[in-house]
Amino acid sequence: MSIEWIEQVLQLTVQMGTVYLLASLGEIYAERSGVLNLGLEGMMLMGAATSFMFTLAYGHLSAILTSIIVGALMGLILSILVVDMKLNQVVVGLAMTMLGAGLSGFFTFPEVRKNLLLRLNPSLPEEVLLIQQAQKLPEIQIPLLSNIPVIGKMFFSHNLLVYFSFILSIAMWFILFKTRIGLTIRSVGENPSMADSLGVNVYMVRRMTVILSGVFASLAGAYFFIGFHPFWREGVTAGRGFIALALVILATWSPMRAILGAYLFGGVETFQYRLQLFGLGAQSPYFLAMLPYILTIMTLIIISTESIKKRIGAPASLGIPYAREE
Amino acid sequence: MAKTIIMPHSVKIKRRLHISRKLSILTTFSTLVLAFGVSGIFFAMIGLNPLDVYSYMVGVYTSPTLLLKALERAIPIGLAALGLSIAFRMNFWNIGAEGQMYMGMFASTGIVLLHAYYDLIPDYLVLLLMILASFVTGGLWCGLPAFLKAKMRVNEILTTLMMNYVAMYFVDFLIYGPWRDPKGYGFPLSIPFPEYAKLTMIFGEFAYSGLLLLCIAVALAVVILRYTKLGFELKIVGEGIDIARYAGIRITKVITLGGILSGGIAGLGGLAIVSGIIGRLRPRASPGYGYTAIIVILLSALNPWLVVPVSIFFGGIFVAGDILQATLKIPGAAVEMHQALIFLFIVVGEFLKRYKITITREVVR
Repeated sequence: MSIEWIEQVLQLTVQMGTVYLLASLGEIYAERSGVLNLGLEGMMLMGAATSFMFTLAYGHLSAILTSIIVGALMGLILSILVVDMKLNQVVVGLAMTMLGAGLSGFFTFPEVRKNLLLRLNPSLPEEVLLIQQAQKLPEIQIPLLSNIPVIGKMFFSHNLLVYFSFILSIAMWFILFKTRIGLTIRSVGENPSMADSLGVNVYMVRRMTVILSGVFASLAGAYFFIGFHPFWREGVTAGRGFIALALVILATWSPMRAILGAYLFGGVETFQYRLQLFGLGAQSPYFLAMLPYILTIMTLIIISTESIKKRIGAPASLGIPYAREE
Repeated sequence: MAKTIIMPHSVKIKRRLHISRKLSILTTFSTLVLAFGVSGIFFAMIGLNPLDVYSYMVGVYTSPTLLLKALERAIPIGLAALGLSIAFRMNFWNIGAEGQMYMGMFASTGIVLLHAYYDLIPDYLVLLLMILASFVTGGLWCGLPAFLKAKMRVNEILTTLMMNYVAMYFVDFLIYGPWRDPKGYGFPLSIPFPEYAKLTMIFGEFAYSGLLLLCIAVALAVVILRYTKLGFELKIVGEGIDIARYAGIRITKVITLGGILSGGIAGLGGLAIVSGIIGRLRPRASPGYGYTAIIVILLSALNPWLVVPVSIFFGGIFVAGDILQATLKIPGAAVEMHQALIFLFIVVGEFLKRYKITITREVVR
């Protein structure tokens, strides 16, 4: 184990963790306002597929912008179903996950993809139409700082989205806990009828947070694809949306703690692959893969005990549709 | 609140007090038609004639050989859905049928290996023990989150969902590691099950023996839900935990037992996959049957009898997917997309069933 090896593992840890961090940030807002978005995985897949197609057609910027729009649309559909129509959030969320998986696989199927790409940009050369990979986002090395031994690569040698996610999670923590907007969101999730009687538009707050969670999930998918692993296959995110969902719980609904949790999960996953390369413990990858889920189940149990529930428990009205009594 | 509000031209959404059977069936059928319509739009977008696609789909249910294949797929789906009918009845949102099936596969393969590697079990007991073991293991996999929910109100949606992945990776570990067939050229497969460890031993064709298993499970679910004290208590718990507590029901016991039953029946679904459809264990043996089961039980409106035809319908969609992929070169993801559309439209249909939307000129209260 050389210094380079450690540096590389640390760098990958942060880059992997960013997938979870981005997806969980939006989900934290949605859940804080009382809506469980179980469609995270499907929205991530849609983001990844959109970024794949648009990177091939028009490059990275268009890929990121369109994946944000697609995420917002998915979020909008979800919000109409669960906020306005008050349908069961679990059922609708699972349906959205299935829909995202189905649509993303359907439209990126080689034959279909070829026609779609030609329609998006007729001037694309023939050989681009059927390739399974896209160009990766460029890494931006911060001068001097990225040369610090051991931690330089970990913090200062990434693509823009990684830096952006880090700054964003601090900003989103600040908004959620230190501003009036954040207070409004949290009050809607804790006691919607009280918030309503104080003049808060509960439905509008929830619609916005759900759309936000769609945008972030889709962006996380786009980052995963063009920023981390630009090789397409069906279902490319492989259940990472559910890990992000787990992270929200592990972070007990705080964007700040989500940073730590995200890098923890990112580290676990990086180790999973590295150990395999070393031939160390042929069995260990499967147990490491279970770790995020087991940690989450344990967190769920701990935050359900009475004494801790009062301080950092789940938002009180999580999963319960709000129906105004007239 | 005795207030008089006068609103001209208001759209009013009102909860229906009574849902007629006719309305219910009509909505369900129109949601299915709508789902097919929207899938058709997607098929047309990629340059296929939707009618061609539909005729292949219908073909699955009219050809005897394909219908048998659909029936095979329907068995694990139906068993998992029956398990869910018990959990959902007590308002326990078990979305872990997938994981419970994997635990069922683990247990039934474990029995076969105990027999084949260590010769601990006589031939005639193998299948019986496999049935028992898959029920118990699947049951415990759901019993744990049920117990946690009852005792500490731990959110069961999240625990059952997370445990799906734990179960799946556990089976991956076994099949890539100690349970790999030593004579299998390194492929991640268990040894092929001996004939007496297969469900085909009863009627020769798995579809028939599976259907028998499914019908027994339906009868079991109906008896438990309608004619036992536990079934009655489950329904009261479903009405609300506080109500049940006032009624003097032992919440922890009822929810845990309900969870074990629910997961146990799903575990039998896992048995059906390895011992019926495949004949050995392989990784990722379920293509999401546990999630399809959620759609099935919602479409069946929690009625165990309806599970049989509805899961045959969904089994057919899986088979149709394979055929469409081979003949029309339609992506395999089309199955998932189509299922998801059916799923979404059913849920929206539920809303339309329950509420009446009227446009009134004046509302006086």
